[in-house]
Amino acid sequence: MTTVVRTRERRETMATRVRVLSIVVGAALAGVAADYWLVQGLHGPEYRELADNNRLRRFPIRAPRGVVYDRDGRALAENVPSYNLLLEPDASNDLQKSLAFAAAILETDPGQLHRLLVAHRRERPVEPALVAENLTLAQVARFELAALEHPEFEVDVQQLRLYRHREQTAHVLGYLAEAGPQDLATGRYQRGDMIGRRGIESQFEAALRGEDGERVVVVDSRGRAVDEFPAKQPRQGSGLKLAIDLDLQQTAQRLLQDKVGAVVALDPRNGAILAMTSSPSYDPNLFARRLRPDDWMRLITDPNHPLQNRALQNTQPPGSTFKPLMALAGLSAHVIDTNTTFYCSGAATFYGRARRCWRRQGHGAVNLRAAIKNSCDVYFYNVGQRLGITRIARYARLLGLGQLSGIDIPGEKAGLVPDEAWSRRVRKIPWYPGETISVAIGQGPILTTPLQLAVMMAAIANGGQLETPHMVERIAPARTVEGIDPAAWQVVREGLRAVVDSGTGHAAYVPGLSIAGKTGTAQVIAQHTWTRAEDIAYAQRDHAWFVSFAPVENPQLVVIVFIEHGGHGSSAAAPVAKGIYEELLKKRPDLRAAPPA
Amino acid sequence: MRSSSRSGPISGLLRLPEEAATAGFGRLANVRWSLLLVALMLSVVGAATVHSASAAMPVEYLPRQLAWLGAGLLVFLVTFSVDYQRLALLALPFYGVAMALLVLVLFFGQVRGGSRSWFAVGPFGIQPSEVAKIATAVLLAQYLAGLEGEYLRLREIVTATGIVLLPVALLYFEPDLGGALMYLPLLAAMLLVAGIKKRYLVVAAGTALVVAALGWGLIHDYQRERVLTFLNPERDPLGAGYQVRQSKIAVGSGELVGRGYMRGTQSQLRFLPARHTDFIFAVLAEEWGFLGVAFVLFLYGSFLFGCAEVAARARDKLGMLLAVGFFATFAFHILWNTGMVVGLAPNSGIPLPFLSYGGSFMLFAFAATGLVLGVDFRRYVNR
Repeated sequence: MTTVVRTRERRETMATRVRVLSIVVGAALAGVAADYWLVQGLHGPEYRELADNNRLRRFPIRAPRGVVYDRDGRALAENVPSYNLLLEPDASNDLQKSLAFAAAILETDPGQLHRLLVAHRRERPVEPALVAENLTLAQVARFELAALEHPEFEVDVQQLRLYRHREQTAHVLGYLAEAGPQDLATGRYQRGDMIGRRGIESQFEAALRGEDGERVVVVDSRGRAVDEFPAKQPRQGSGLKLAIDLDLQQTAQRLLQDKVGAVVALDPRNGAILAMTSSPSYDPNLFARRLRPDDWMRLITDPNHPLQNRALQNTQPPGSTFKPLMALAGLSAHVIDTNTTFYCSGAATFYGRARRCWRRQGHGAVNLRAAIKNSCDVYFYNVGQRLGITRIARYARLLGLGQLSGIDIPGEKAGLVPDEAWSRRVRKIPWYPGETISVAIGQGPILTTPLQLAVMMAAIANGGQLETPHMVERIAPARTVEGIDPAAWQVVREGLRAVVDSGTGHAAYVPGLSIAGKTGTAQVIAQHTWTRAEDIAYAQRDHAWFVSFAPVENPQLVVIVFIEHGGHGSSAAAPVAKGIYEELLKKRPDLRAAPPA
Repeated sequence: MRSSSRSGPISGLLRLPEEAATAGFGRLANVRWSLLLVALMLSVVGAATVHSASAAMPVEYLPRQLAWLGAGLLVFLVTFSVDYQRLALLALPFYGVAMALLVLVLFFGQVRGGSRSWFAVGPFGIQPSEVAKIATAVLLAQYLAGLEGEYLRLREIVTATGIVLLPVALLYFEPDLGGALMYLPLLAAMLLVAGIKKRYLVVAAGTALVVAALGWGLIHDYQRERVLTFLNPERDPLGAGYQVRQSKIAVGSGELVGRGYMRGTQSQLRFLPARHTDFIFAVLAEEWGFLGVAFVLFLYGSFLFGCAEVAARARDKLGMLLAVGFFATFAFHILWNTGMVVGLAPNSGIPLPFLSYGGSFMLFAFAATGLVLGVDFRRYVNR
């Protein structure tokens, strides 16, 4: 009996141990369940994203870029299909054979294709390798015919930017280049995206690029596509209509051929830019594909800097083209009037230093009109002396010099209007009164861009409205230039008309069109003797300016010409303007004045 | 112990207890059938999940799994019918045969998954280690049940350990670390229930640590790699850590209600390795979400509770120890596998009872279930 009781007690003890064990296991199971709750309930969304990253591959569908048109709707920058050859080496049974097949069609060396493949694989291991670009349609057809035998090749269609007018519109439009590390860092671009650089392409990048679409493909663990979601279609970028007149643009570029310089033509009534060229130029199509290193080297080592847009970026002394502004300032400040005369003997002394007029024999007694017409230096030395640098600088700034014009393409330079404060701040030396005399004829430290002179001439043409030059239509109210004697505009316009009719700018004269203009010469090195331009080495020759507008009675077009090392404005720059006005007359015969009776 | 006094000819092995024979189905009604019901429910869930897991595989494993399930039920009938007390009389020869099989498989077995642990039987494979586990459990229970005294003596503990260490050593040579590991809960649970003094417990824990340290030097490189990867899954995300990482992604992405049956992306797109066997629970978790996980864990909980209950209400030490041994084995498999799938335990190739595809383990699970219910059935007879 005692053994039975002991056995039963023992059994109870053991049963208790079993129950304890089952509680421990139950707790452990609850612990596991709790961890599943954490992973599935709490962190589920994170893991679901990881699962989607596993199975979804996203391929961008590039949005076609917006087309850029000139004012008459002619395409300046458009998109054309371009065929690229992609190779998926894993899909090939015999890679050597595949490469030989492609090389035969492409008329290249299989080894070269293999090198491209290896280089591409190193950079982007999961994507098919780009082994050839810009296939001809015949080549495309041959690859498509062989699609069944050679599934490893795929012809990929990309939209390629085409600049039909090449060099002629390069400085207006800019170009496209592949997104760099900084662009990728913004998070708005993906590898392989093309981004607008310079010009319109850069300025209106956001509007032009549109919105890329996306293909989402479901892949298995070996990366094979098993399904595809409906694609998100791309949205093409907005088209842009420029104020540019392709005919004037092409004429300007043609006239600058073999010269170094710039032309700006704008409508003085609203600031719309009808032509803007800079020479030498470059072919922006070179950038649309990856630029070849030798092309790039040629562009950046060219001593004439073809990538520079001289119309906005070249700052030079305006030379005598500054004289109309001096006339406006002198009249408005009442230091002269229309009858004020100075005597020009070919030279005069200011602040103890002899100053020459460009005309050795002098102009004799000249009034304002004659001084403008013949560009008499001595007359404006006197005006400058009477005004002083402070007032000269103030009037120059009133007419837009020394500041950004606000044109809607990037890279513009502000130039420089010097005064005493500038001299002390920047040069750390006092302003010398003698420098005022230089500035009075647009020499010395004063620097202007062709675009700024265009704005200044537009204000003279339209009677005091300072327009913001622009490529794309927009409503930007003009600023009225304050502080100029209202009568002065007309006086200056008449003087400028005489320049072309019978003065220094006669080389720009176009029969049947009334043109107001002014020549200018920016001294490269000071000439102490009267020298002919042709006798000086090219790099030391002066820069030539011609600023103008027409018709005088009803100004429709401002034309600024700048020729680097062109010598005199009258001989180098004025004929370019003449060519542009002739083109204008062809397009607008209504501007032709009735032939004199 | 009356069992030891009872004569045990082999001819009487399949005889039902006298009481059962006289009381008919009245006794059968006292068996904890819910244990079998839960096992069958889990098997159905398992078959459905195996079907989903093999959808993206060249072989459809569902028919085979159903065949194994049928075989499992037959094995259940046999082990349920056999009087475990009579079986225990044959424990030593049974154990001897099982050890012989473990030795033979080292020479004539097929290599699968890096271990020489399979006998090929037609298109099927049989793992003798599962048979050996039952033989070991029976011998161990029989040995411990025959001992007198409140607590086990050291000599008895050493003997018991020896019984288990022999198959563990043989499995080490296959090498099948996971399989070997699954013998340990058997030993630990039976020793604990049979009665072990606290100081031996402390010594055992210390020994376990020393063995673990020594084992670190003895285990194979790939096994060490698995443990290191478990400790830091990012160590080698494309190699050994890949399975665990993909498994955890599958589990987590199931969220609350799952991706839907046959629609788990991790399983159907083949990101999840061993998805029809060791990682089947990840497929379930991905496709049925936490709701499915909670449901299956609940079933496992009831199954384990049922086993423990059978053990607790058994009237004889042999039956109790046998039931506890299987309880612990099931518990360890379930906890380790579900823990492994969610990254809580190292990946050791331990299948999930009733869910994972695999014949031998299915047979073991049903054999063990039969034995456990056999204990319950005979609790009024065997004392």
